[in-house]
This record gives sequence, structure tokens and C-alpha cells, in this order.
Amino acid sequence: MLSEERRVEQQSALTEPAAARLAAPDVRDEFGLETIDMSMGPQHPAMHGLLRLILELDGETVVRCDPVMGYLHRCQEKIAENRMYPAVIPLTDRLDYFANMHNEHGYVLAVEDLLDVEVPPRAEYIRVLMSELMRLASHIPSIGFLMLELGAFTPILYAFRERERIQTIFEAVTGARMMFHYIRIGGVKADLPPDIPQKIWDYIEGLESRFQNDFVDLIQGNEIFISRTRGVGKMTQEKAVEMGLTGPPLRCTGVDFDLRRDYPYSIYPELEFDVITDTAGDVEASYRIRIAECLQSIRLIKQCLEKMPEGAVMGDLGRRLRPKEGDGFGRVESPRGEFAVHIVSDGSDTPYRVHYRDPSFCNMQLLQEVVPGHYLPDIMPIMGLIDPVSGGWDK
Amino acid sequence: MAVTLPEGNLEDRLKGYLDGFGNRHGLLESEIVRGSVRIVVAPGDVQAVLATAKEALGIVHLSFITVVDRVGSFEITYELMDLRGGRVTLKTTIEGEEPVIGTATGIYPTANWHEREAYDMFGVAFAGHPDLRRLYMWQDHFDHHPLLKSFEITTRRTFEGLR
Amino acid sequence: MQTVLNLLEAEPIRLFVSFGAVLFLVLNLAAILTMAERKASAYIHLRYGPNRVGPRGLLQPAADVVKLFTKENVMPGRSDMWVFLGAPIAMFIPAALVWMVIPFSPDAVVANLNVGILFFVAITSIGALGVVMAGYGSRSTFSLLGALRGAAQIISYEVPLILSLLGVIMLTGSLSLVEVVNAQGSTFWTWYFLPQLPMFLTFYIAGLAEVKRVPFDLPEGESEIVGGFMVEYSGMTWALIQAAEFASMGLMSAINVTLFLGGWQPPLPFLDFGPFNWVWFGLKTALIMFTFQWIRWSLPRLRMDQLMDLGWKVLVPMTLVWLFVTAGAMLVIPGN
Repeated sequence: MLSEERRVEQQSALTEPAAARLAAPDVRDEFGLETIDMSMGPQHPAMHGLLRLILELDGETVVRCDPVMGYLHRCQEKIAENRMYPAVIPLTDRLDYFANMHNEHGYVLAVEDLLDVEVPPRAEYIRVLMSELMRLASHIPSIGFLMLELGAFTPILYAFRERERIQTIFEAVTGARMMFHYIRIGGVKADLPPDIPQKIWDYIEGLESRFQNDFVDLIQGNEIFISRTRGVGKMTQEKAVEMGLTGPPLRCTGVDFDLRRDYPYSIYPELEFDVITDTAGDVEASYRIRIAECLQSIRLIKQCLEKMPEGAVMGDLGRRLRPKEGDGFGRVESPRGEFAVHIVSDGSDTPYRVHYRDPSFCNMQLLQEVVPGHYLPDIMPIMGLIDPVSGGWDK
Repeated sequence: MAVTLPEGNLEDRLKGYLDGFGNRHGLLESEIVRGSVRIVVAPGDVQAVLATAKEALGIVHLSFITVVDRVGSFEITYELMDLRGGRVTLKTTIEGEEPVIGTATGIYPTANWHEREAYDMFGVAFAGHPDLRRLYMWQDHFDHHPLLKSFEITTRRTFEGLR
Repeated sequence: MQTVLNLLEAEPIRLFVSFGAVLFLVLNLAAILTMAERKASAYIHLRYGPNRVGPRGLLQPAADVVKLFTKENVMPGRSDMWVFLGAPIAMFIPAALVWMVIPFSPDAVVANLNVGILFFVAITSIGALGVVMAGYGSRSTFSLLGALRGAAQIISYEVPLILSLLGVIMLTGSLSLVEVVNAQGSTFWTWYFLPQLPMFLTFYIAGLAEVKRVPFDLPEGESEIVGGFMVEYSGMTWALIQAAEFASMGLMSAINVTLFLGGWQPPLPFLDFGPFNWVWFGLKTALIMFTFQWIRWSLPRLRMDQLMDLGWKVLVPMTLVWLFVTAGAMLVIPGN
């Protein structure tokens, strides 16, 4: 812990810009006009949960954007330090609550990295199948959220209808609609119920036929949608890589990076899929990426169902879970980008330190860089580009 | 202008990274474990090693920064990725109760919030950081760093001044 | 009986009674339109909509009104009280007042002003005052932004709105709304929406902007400034703002119908119902209102600069060009 004078010294050094602003609050431009400070959030319909943006507005133009977070902080990392390895999995569900399966998968991969347990192939297939369904259940609402933030209310309801159906599948498989606790260390909790593969297949076929109608034709050519999203939140490849973006916000600038292909885990090397990139680097490109990734997910789900082997779904773990001392890394491509887990083990049955790298958290740094210079209503499409989730950035 | 991503065989590249770091800096430890380069350096060398990674070796992505409280010392892990399969785990240990280390924000701007989080959770100060405020916890009246092993969740004292 | 009717015919009494009737109609219109809005949006969203209160949920507006009446009226602590409380009234009165000059059928018009169109234009512009009052009185950044946007939008769209009326005025040669409807004839191809198609579209779009409906609901903008000028209102003051919004939406539909779609005139001569021709007026107004709702639930919102671009760079030039076309055609084609 820092001593008092060190802390004071640091803080006084840190808040220097703020102090300067406070000392001279009457900052006027050449026309004698002041800027307005505006606190947007944490209770705000377009903030994807509990985010507060401190904005400085010059008319409708944003001069400064400072995200303040922590309103949903549960110190998941501290809780995880006090729990046994398997008992952390249900907590990871609460991180990014639109991509629960990916969180579980990432954590489990990190523990398995320390354990040398062999995961049965059927379990791997089920994990990928569930992850891809989860990706659909996250990407489709995120398209809806983008439209909601632009002022169109209808697509979100179409999107949630699809999510609802996917959740019904999850409920049949895992017993829960959102907080699954399904992917376990060494495999998955239970095998798929006998009629579920057929149901998933039917649903996916239905979705494919509806998809064009509900999410492409309704949105893509709309003049207002184009004028609101094209060129908004535009960033270069260097900027995107510098800011540590991953997932759709990175791919929409044209950087061809997908953890499923470039850092392969599970059975992704055996499946065929394309990594979608776009060159525009704006909100419209991210929308196109999400649409195309949904179609790739459908393709992956079909392959999983076709290739699914028979056999056990749980590996042999032994009685007590005591991973060897060292570092375990697990990273998965969640719908929002790179979800990584770093576990430091001290050889006991509780982790010594668990660190989550959540894509929403890292992608949100974009706000500070990209928002200034845009109009106030452009913040919402940019939030739609990042599509952060409150549970994700606040851990 | 486009970002160039590395090409070629993964193992050759990892070996290249290992040599690249080894030739330029004094490394305390260096090895290749399970498809990733693991190097340990002295805390003073971190910025130079990161600069080498970004500029000379072209490892463009800083994935995350983990701080581990080893009670009396802090272990800091920088996880770097080249976006094509190569991973570099850079570790360093800083001693003492009031740890200070050079910031990585000048090299990897994405480290900004990672370092703010580390400062918030552990009190590790990053010298030269442009905006080192607390990220999650209260800005005022909260003098604790929750992820330290010495921080107990149940103490009433924790929330003194906040209520 | 006859004496009562004669008494009602006497001038000051007729005016008060008929204005009371119109006010009653406007208040009910707001209630019916909320219901219609919710049902229409539910139909578009593949939902049910309100279906609990009364048969098929038809009593929902009544329940809403009871709820809103019993709600506490919360005021922001440092707000400007009289401005804050006056704003809903300043918004509602213009919306209700213009209904006085709308001809429902040849005889059913409260005040047959010979400057009806001018009256409409003059009174609707006062609505902007209410928006500014609401935004200023609330003492909130969100409200202020909403009010500024509202004022800018309403004043800018006044221009194409008025310009698009000029064609009709030229063709009719009168500013009276009854005259305008009479001049259109009882066949739908003689209504003004065909010869004045660009004007009709401009009036429709500018009218949408004037009543702050999607895609021009920037003063409300519920995803960015969460309700804009009305963010601080609650209970009955909020309900009054809503009533004013819906009344002005109905008003804009009615004016659309009166000026361009033949008012009470039937679409074909044999459909003439005589004294019941107000049915045609009602049907046409309902149709326009439905298209307003249809647009509301289908389109995203524009941005402020795009809104201004549309108004000044598209609508104003279009109306000016068509004004000259109309004038030229009136010179060339005799007897029109």
C-alpha cells in the first residue's frame, strides 16, 4: 500500500489537467462562447449497462470524452482467488453476460493449460457448438442495439426473438438460460439431449432463411442508416492496433486477425470458416462484419453437428484439482474480441491470481481517442461499433 | 497505411524473437515454453525490451498486463502477441512496498487502461503514465488497493469515509 | 327543440360549444392515438401490444390517464417553476387551437376564417416556444440540448412548410381552408396531391419534422438525450406534453388531408354521403396518421447536420422550383 504522502503527491501530479481546468473555468473561444460539461450515464439507455461518460461539448460537437467505469465492479479477480478452481467457472459467466460460453471456455482453457488433462473430442465439439451459438446470440442483438441507438426500435425486437430461441436451446442443453456453468474443466457438464442436434439444425436452417429478410434487407440499404454510420468512428489500422482492439472493431479496419485461426484452440483447426475483414473501419463496416460473422457461425455450427463424434464428454481429472505451479493462459475469440485469462497457480487448490483480459474493456479505450470531434449523437453508433458489455469492462 | 503482420514458420519466428531479445538486452531468464517465448528481465529494462519488441521485432499487440502480489514483491507480466500465433511473455519482479515501474504507454498506447487498473488494484505506480487515476474504485476517500493479499474483504474499515 | 338549436346557432354560443366539442375531440384523439401507436408498433414488432385492460386492451388509454393523474408531479430542484409548468400549456394550446379552422365537412368548421392557412402557419410556430420553455425551465443539459435542437428544427422546417403551401394558395386563389377543399372537386385525380406532388411530399416531410416524429425526433432523441426537452417532466405535465405531441400529429395529418387530399371530398362522385362526408375526412386523416406511425417504427433517426441539409438543400430548392413550374403552368394553361 502506498504511504500517505506518496499518494497525495501522486494524485496532485495526476489531476494537474483537471486542476488547470478548475482554476480557469471560464474558457471561452473567440466568439465568447463556453463549452458545456455533460455527464452522460451511468443511468442512460444507450450506455450498454453502467458507463458514465464525462463529455465536454462545444455546441453538439464533443471536445473531450472521459469514460468513468466501476459502477458494476464486483472484483471478480479477488473473489476467484478465494475459491477452488471449479468454483470459479460460474463466476466467469457473470463477466461478459452476452458471451458466457466464451468466458467459461477461456477460463477452462487456462486451467487445462496448467493441468495436462485430455479433453474428449466430443466435448470439444460441444464446446465449439455452444460457443458459436453464443456468438449468434451476441452478434444478432448487437446489430439490434446499434439500430436502437440510431433510433429504430424494431430491429432490436427481431434480434431478441432470435436470441430467445437460442436461449431456449441453451436451456434444453445446460439447464440455464444465461448463467450456464456448462463448460467444465476437462469437458462439459452433460452430453447433448438426444433430440437437440436435430432441433439446433432446424433452428439454424430457419435462421438462415429469415436472416436476409430481418437483418439485412431491413437495415443495409437504408439511406438514413448509411448517412448515420458511414465514416463515423473511422480509424486507421495503426490506430486500431495501437489501441489494442480485437474482434470486429479491429477487423473492420482490415487487420486480418481472428484468434480462432491465428491462435487455434479447441477443434477450430479442423473446421472450415473464413475470417471476415472490411476496409472501411467505420460503424457501417462493423455492422457488415457482424452480419457476415453470423453467417460464418451458422456454417461452423452445421459442420460441428455433421462431424460430431460419439464418446464421453468428460475427461479424467482425478479426485482433487491441484494444478502445478506456474502460469496458465487461455484465450478465446469472444464475440467482442480477444478474451484471455491468465491464471497464476501456487500448487494449491485455489488460484493464486486470476486475471481476465476482457475485450469490452480494451476496446472501450477507443472512446477517448475516436469520439472527440464527432457530434454528440455519433457517440451511440460508436458504442454500437465497440458493443461493450458492462459486466465485461467492470469485471 | 497498413499494418504488416509477420509471416513464416511459427517456430522460426519464436526463435527469432528469443534471439532478438537476447542479443539486445541482458535477460535474467529466457526459454520457449508451449509455443510462447518467456523472458524475465530486470524492472529497469522493461521499457527498453518492450520498445525492442514493438519496433525491432514487430510484435504489435499488447494483450494484457498482469500484476501478481507476491507479498513483499510484485511480479508483472506483459503478454505480447504478434497476431499470427507468436506469443511473448515478459516478466519482471519489483521489490518493495511502494513499487514504481516505467510505463509502457509510450510504446503500446493500449497499456493506458491496463496500467490504470493495475494502479487501482495494487498501487503499482507507473512512472510517466499520462493519466494515472483510479479506474474502478472511488477517486477519493478510498486508500486501499483491493487485490493486494493484505486486503481483507470483511473489514469494516474498508468503507470508512465512503458512507 | 328548435329553440335550443337556434340558441346554439347564435354566434358566441356556437363558437364556445363547437370549440368545446373540438377540444374534447383533440383530447380524445391524443388518447386514441397513443393506443393506436402502441397497437400499430406491436403489429410491426410481431408483438401483442396492450391487451389486458378492457376488451382487447381498448381501455388502456383510460387506465393510463388515471395513472398519470394520480402521479406526483416531480420538479427539478433549481428549475424555473413558472416556465417549467407553463411549457406544457404553451405546447398544448397551439395544437388545440388550430383545430378550430379545420373543416370537418362543408358546414362543420368552428371558425371559417378567410385566412385559415395563415392562421395555421402562425399558430403552429408558437409550438416552438413551448419546447424552448420546457428545455430552459428544466435546468438540465439534456433538456437544454433538446430544446435548442427543437427550436432550430422547427424554425428551419417552417420555411419549406410555408413554401409548399404557396402552390395550393396559387391554385385556389384563397387562404380559406374551406375554399381550398371546395376547389379540389369530388374526384381523387383532381385533388392537389397530383399536380402538386413535390409540394405534397415536402409538406409531408416538413410536417413530420414540425411535429417531431421519427426520423426527425431529434429534440427527443431518446437514445442520446433521453427525451430531450421533456426529460424532467412527470405525471400530468408529461401527459400534457404527450397530448400536445399527438394532437399536433393529428393536426398535421388533418392539414395534409385538407390541402392535398381533398378534405371531406369523396374520392369518386358516387361515394358522396352528403352530410356524412366527414367520414371521408376521418378516413383520410387516419390513413396519414398511420403512415406517420409506420415511418416512426421503421426508420432510424437523422443527425442534426443531416436534418439541416435535408431541409435547406433539398426541400427548399424543390419547393421553389415547383413554385415556378406551377406559376408557369397557370400562365400557359388557361382556365386553371
